[in-house]
Amino acid sequence: MPDLLELTGVSASYGRIQALSEVSLRVPEGRVVALLGSNGAGKTTTLNTISRLVPVTSGSIRFDGKPIESWASHQVVEGGVVQVPEGREVFQDMSVCENLEMGAYRRKDAAAIRADFERVLNYFPKLRERLQQRAGTLSGGEQQMLLLGRALMARPRLLLLDEPSLGLSPVLVQQIFGIIDRLNKDGLTILLVEQNAAVALTCSSYAYILENGEMALQGASDQLRRDDSVRRTYLGH
Amino acid sequence: MTLDVAFLFLQQGIASGLIVGSVYALLALAIVVIFKTSEVPNFSQGEMVMAAGYIALYLLVFQSLPLWIVMPATILAAFAGAALFRRLILNQVARANGSPVNLVIATLGLSYVLRGFVRQTGFGDTPRSFPPVVEPESILIGQASVTTLDLVILATAIVVMAAFFWMFKYTKTGRAMRAVGMNPKAARLVGVDLTRIHMIVWGLSGGISAVAALLISPKVLMTADMGSIVTLGFAAAIVGGFTSLPGAVVGGFLIGIIENLVGLFITSRAIVLAPFLAIMLVLVIRPQGLFGGRVEIKKV
Ligand SMILES: Nc1ncnc2c1ncn2[C@@H]1O[C@H](COP(=O)(O)OP(=O)(O)OP(=O)(O)O)[C@@H](O)[C@H]1O
Ligand SMILES: [Mg+2]
Repeated sequence: MPDLLELTGVSASYGRIQALSEVSLRVPEGRVVALLGSNGAGKTTTLNTISRLVPVTSGSIRFDGKPIESWASHQVVEGGVVQVPEGREVFQDMSVCENLEMGAYRRKDAAAIRADFERVLNYFPKLRERLQQRAGTLSGGEQQMLLLGRALMARPRLLLLDEPSLGLSPVLVQQIFGIIDRLNKDGLTILLVEQNAAVALTCSSYAYILENGEMALQGASDQLRRDDSVRRTYLGH
Repeated sequence: MTLDVAFLFLQQGIASGLIVGSVYALLALAIVVIFKTSEVPNFSQGEMVMAAGYIALYLLVFQSLPLWIVMPATILAAFAGAALFRRLILNQVARANGSPVNLVIATLGLSYVLRGFVRQTGFGDTPRSFPPVVEPESILIGQASVTTLDLVILATAIVVMAAFFWMFKYTKTGRAMRAVGMNPKAARLVGVDLTRIHMIVWGLSGGISAVAALLISPKVLMTADMGSIVTLGFAAAIVGGFTSLPGAVVGGFLIGIIENLVGLFITSRAIVLAPFLAIMLVLVIRPQGLFGGRVEIKKV
């Protein structure tokens, strides 16, 4: 499989704080690749350099063979790289419906947008009942669904997921990962950031582990799952 | 004061208040739309009004262009000027040092530049008057006396505000502006081009300021300091909650009416105090302003 996304020696910093140094990773088309690491390891920063919210100080980012490290954030979205951010980054004072429509902001194919709207509501039936509700009043789990739905409305080719399980009950975590699995089976390529290493290593085919902004370990997910040091540090047994 | 006179004053105060209030409402709208989308109070708003007034004056009096060219040309020039200021200056300032304080200082800088420029050209030396759009004729509404010019001012302001609200609520660009105001990061993640939206917001704010300038210029003496009228726009914005667009409009009308009632019932010397009275009253009763959201304590 050709790589849909390829980071080579990417460094980034916030002022004097070096957040990433020489990070390299590859996401082959059609796969789920996991990016793990403890708090402050630089996972979100990595996604944000790809989404062009954080500038890179050196290194290159290629999407579909094209260098994108100097693109603007809206160009990346238009190119098909869409991030589901951590936290509850919905448009609080807009309705659920408007939030989903905002997801399709860069698209002009009205008929296909309507079809995707239906598709998203089929993925998340809860949202259908709440289309007119103010997004800020949704529960945490519902907001996470909305974020995922909003990202799908952009018709991504590559989905960047930042801790989709954070703060969700086990049932919801299962539900979200069920959907992630289905999306991937439908052909979507996914870069998944997670702290919940057990779940992430189950649903990904390959995984990277960041420590203090550097790539510490990488390998096939089922191998990492059996690796002793990984088990001790990230799986807790 | 007999009851009859009081009733007459009340009618006159409300009528005159609605008319000047409509201009304050436009100014407040121009201030709030920028603040809402970038959290920067634009301290050059007054000078944008003043500059637009002088552009119109220049085109009309010195180039002898007809009014139907002067008006759109002035609005366009103000739109372009404000959008370019956002794109060329503020973007640069934000990139060099993102702290909002520097952006505010940059807007102050623009206000000095514009005032200095008008002084340099010599236009501002003598107070000038702008010929009215329509011959003012007196009309009685109820017992209140207004002029045809007043009615044109009120009607124009209302049409401009309605168009603005429609754009903000129903167009894709308007929705993107709201999105940027609510959550700029999320807006970028769905593909909103922040630079473009900020340019349009500043452009609209400049355009609305130009409309306000065209509306008030026939009624006031134009000087390089005429931008101080925007103080009342700021007052209206504060009364309305500073982040609410409908609040800005209601605040504008309220301040216009209070000013006029104070002038008629108390003394015309107290008019300058009226806006501050209104601000204090509102802040005591509802600290977040009439239309401001709940007072939120931001968790950092
Ligand atoms: N906007 C910022 N300004 C300054 N430093 C930042 C900023 N964002 C992140 N950092 C720092 O960069 C480092 C990496 O942060 P990042 O958010 O990428 O970690 P993370 O792996 O996503 O952590 P978590 O699992 O807690 O979300 C941290 O040390 C953090 O303090
Ligand atoms: Mg993170």
